[in-house]
Amino acid sequence: MRYVGKPLPRLEDYHLLYGQARYVDDIELPGMLYAGFVRSPYAHARVRRVDASEALSMPGVVAVFTPQSGKPFDFAPGGKVRYQGEAVAMVVAVDRYALYDALEKVYVDYEPLPAVVDPVKAMEPGAPLVDESLGTNVSRREKYASGDAERALASSDKVVEEELVTNRVVPSAMEPHGVLASHDGKTLLIYDSTQKPHIVRREVARSLDVPLAAVRVIQPDVGGGFGSKIQVYPEEVRVAAAAMALRRPVKWIATRSEDFKMTTYGRGLMLRYKAGFTRDGVLKAIKGEVIADAGAYDWFGFDLAATAATMLPAAYKVRDLDIDAVSVLTNKPPLGPYRGAGRPEATFFIERIMDLIADETGLDPVEVRRRNLVPAGPYDNPLGLHYDSGEYLATFERGIAATGYYDLVRNAEAEKARGRVLGVGMSFYIEITTYGHEVAIVRAERDGSFTVAVGIAPHGQGDATGIAQLVADELQVPIERVRVVWGDTDAVPDGIGTDGSRSITAGGSAALLAARRLLEELKKAAEELLGGPATYSDGTFKSGDKSVTIGEVVEAVYRGKVRAQLEAMEVYKARATFPYGVGVVVVELDPETGLARPLLYRSYDDIGVVVNPLLVEGQIHGGALQGISQVLYEQVVYDQDGNLATPNFAFYHVPKATEAPRYEPRLAETPHRSDHPTGTKGVGEAPTVASAAAAIKALEDAIRRATGKRVRLRSTPVTPEEVYRLIHG
Amino acid sequence: MRIKVKVNGVWYERDVEPRKLLVHFLRDDLGIKSVRVGCDTGNCGACTVLLDGKPVKSCNLLAVQADGSEIITADYSDELMERLKRAFHERHALQCGFCTSGMLLASYALLKNKPKPTEEEIREGISGVLCRCTGYQNIVEAIKSAAL
Ligand code: FES
Ligand code: FES
Repeated sequence: MRYVGKPLPRLEDYHLLYGQARYVDDIELPGMLYAGFVRSPYAHARVRRVDASEALSMPGVVAVFTPQSGKPFDFAPGGKVRYQGEAVAMVVAVDRYALYDALEKVYVDYEPLPAVVDPVKAMEPGAPLVDESLGTNVSRREKYASGDAERALASSDKVVEEELVTNRVVPSAMEPHGVLASHDGKTLLIYDSTQKPHIVRREVARSLDVPLAAVRVIQPDVGGGFGSKIQVYPEEVRVAAAAMALRRPVKWIATRSEDFKMTTYGRGLMLRYKAGFTRDGVLKAIKGEVIADAGAYDWFGFDLAATAATMLPAAYKVRDLDIDAVSVLTNKPPLGPYRGAGRPEATFFIERIMDLIADETGLDPVEVRRRNLVPAGPYDNPLGLHYDSGEYLATFERGIAATGYYDLVRNAEAEKARGRVLGVGMSFYIEITTYGHEVAIVRAERDGSFTVAVGIAPHGQGDATGIAQLVADELQVPIERVRVVWGDTDAVPDGIGTDGSRSITAGGSAALLAARRLLEELKKAAEELLGGPATYSDGTFKSGDKSVTIGEVVEAVYRGKVRAQLEAMEVYKARATFPYGVGVVVVELDPETGLARPLLYRSYDDIGVVVNPLLVEGQIHGGALQGISQVLYEQVVYDQDGNLATPNFAFYHVPKATEAPRYEPRLAETPHRSDHPTGTKGVGEAPTVASAAAAIKALEDAIRRATGKRVRLRSTPVTPEEVYRLIHG
Repeated sequence: MRIKVKVNGVWYERDVEPRKLLVHFLRDDLGIKSVRVGCDTGNCGACTVLLDGKPVKSCNLLAVQADGSEIITADYSDELMERLKRAFHERHALQCGFCTSGMLLASYALLKNKPKPTEEEIREGISGVLCRCTGYQNIVEAIKSAAL
């Protein structure tokens, strides 16, 4: 009856397939009102006056909150808006249609200001200031250095200087942001499309100055997040504040176009660097800066730059490094985490550098990586990260074999002879997952079934199934006797939530340890009942020739016959762990149009213990498409004045089924356990980390095969126009 | 305006404002929540329903335009719909589930017209519905297996 390792179909599915799903917009409360936000048409403007009088006189309008309403309606801080779409007022009305009518009738007097859009220009003296109080647009700069990069550069055979860019992308969860709040005079109840219900609870309680105990946050079904639902947005707090002020339930559901204006954007990092290497292809040094296009508020920009900076050396031997992490304010929506948050960018940068070394030395890209890889972990990365376990070099070699990389290259050559242009790209990645504490409670029910409550907040990953597998194994009971509940701050007092590929590792370990402790308690009770030392297996305690089932023990405790705890709570403090592996992408290029289509994604990943291969496969498929799509399809465009030219799915291209590759992931046959009780390392972000670097190389390879020209691609996305120009120009 | 529509086999007669979108009529007036809203541009397909057998985006139609028609949503149950749901479950063809109603209806319409589609036809058939989670392969596999 071992469940861990089995491809168990998800326990979550029935609910989602049979009309029981409830996303926040599906929830209705009696007397519910609809909220919406008036948003700035300018990227940068002084707000002179907000006139809500006409809106307030419209039928069905209940309230309008403006900057004059005070905290938390302190729209336009410092008297100005700093990106197109920043909220300046909030309207509450009786239904959606009345709401949208009224939103048009709030008049705002703006004085437009010059905007700054490009982070490099934003750093120049004299650039318009996003936040005057800082006196500069550089919101934070920190150095991460080791060894002597200058000296190592000077002694290198070759030094290259250039810029690499991973442009902004829109996370694009299919369910837009939304929140519904109500207050019954005692408790503030919030349904929120979030990845972090407990963090929302703390933030709302803090901002509105109410006791934590008086706030309950429920994460209903959530239609994806990918990092965009990590940030607690001001909207979430304001909807809760409106519900309290009006004493009626208030719901806000972002339209998609609104979502594009207020969601956190992902990526948006640039590396300006010099790299030195030997003629044998050994990387000696990198000196440079990772610049985050943080947007109007530095919510997460610096964290992204710092993560990318510290992960830049990956598992390569280079130890002479000098990297500044810099976050720069621009007149754009704030940058936030997006699937991988800093690691896809770091991998993109360092793998581009490996490919550059291959091009410059004429060595095979596999050989270059082989010469630079640290053989095995544990390994202390020179910028202070401790890589826990792994055989980087051997797994890389196995990955090259397992993905059939050379066969794919040979096949691309053969297809060329038949007039078909294919390109093959490969990347090695190592990434960091899991941080912070996580909380779980396991409760014994009177019949020997168990309820597990977790602080992680899955929203599509299927973690509840994985945790049920872990707990059922630990308690040695059929999985049908284990139910996992999540997404309700009443069920478990704290937790961080779901992000950073940490849910099974941190949340699963918490659940597993709580189950273990509960079992110890029940064993003591069983021994008291049996009158001697007992052994436990498959739901039964035995002592000599006497036995008692786990359900009978629990029943005896509930009746007060023996004393024991029936609930165990674990607060598990997690440390970082480091999954790694190889990703390979094949693209097909139409040289006539410059249009490339991904055909195949293969990978070989060491992600530690695999709890449920089906869930892992699902994460790899979806994650790989996001990384590939960042290179081939997804383009965010702003004009010089900070107008977003790609404000919805009509302009911003999320790939369709006809634009997705086949995925053939394989998992390492000798995985390296993490030191967490689950032994897992996490996989949600790994495919996104691996695939972008491989996809851009595949495109380069295809262009070379089509034209014989060796081109170098430095920035994502690579548009068909750009490819066309490279081929025909 | 008074309209009459048959939804999942049941006739409903209701007064609607002429400007009300079909998707809001289904969700807010009839309480059929499985029809979802993912965009306001007709691009995501989350709101897909079958209108007289054809997949349409219910955010792109007014409720009054559906007067007299027959609508099927993901809550509809027949042998084919059940087969599809089972296949989606077995092949792990859904993650967050937000696109799933649209996917089920697009594939239902596809298999009604073409009981044995090729992989290309399947991908074409569901290309009006965006999924950000699955990378599509398992959805394609599920539809293939439901077609057998
Ligand atoms: S809601 Fe996106 S197409 Fe209708
Ligand atoms: S399952 Fe999440 S969008 Fe398709």
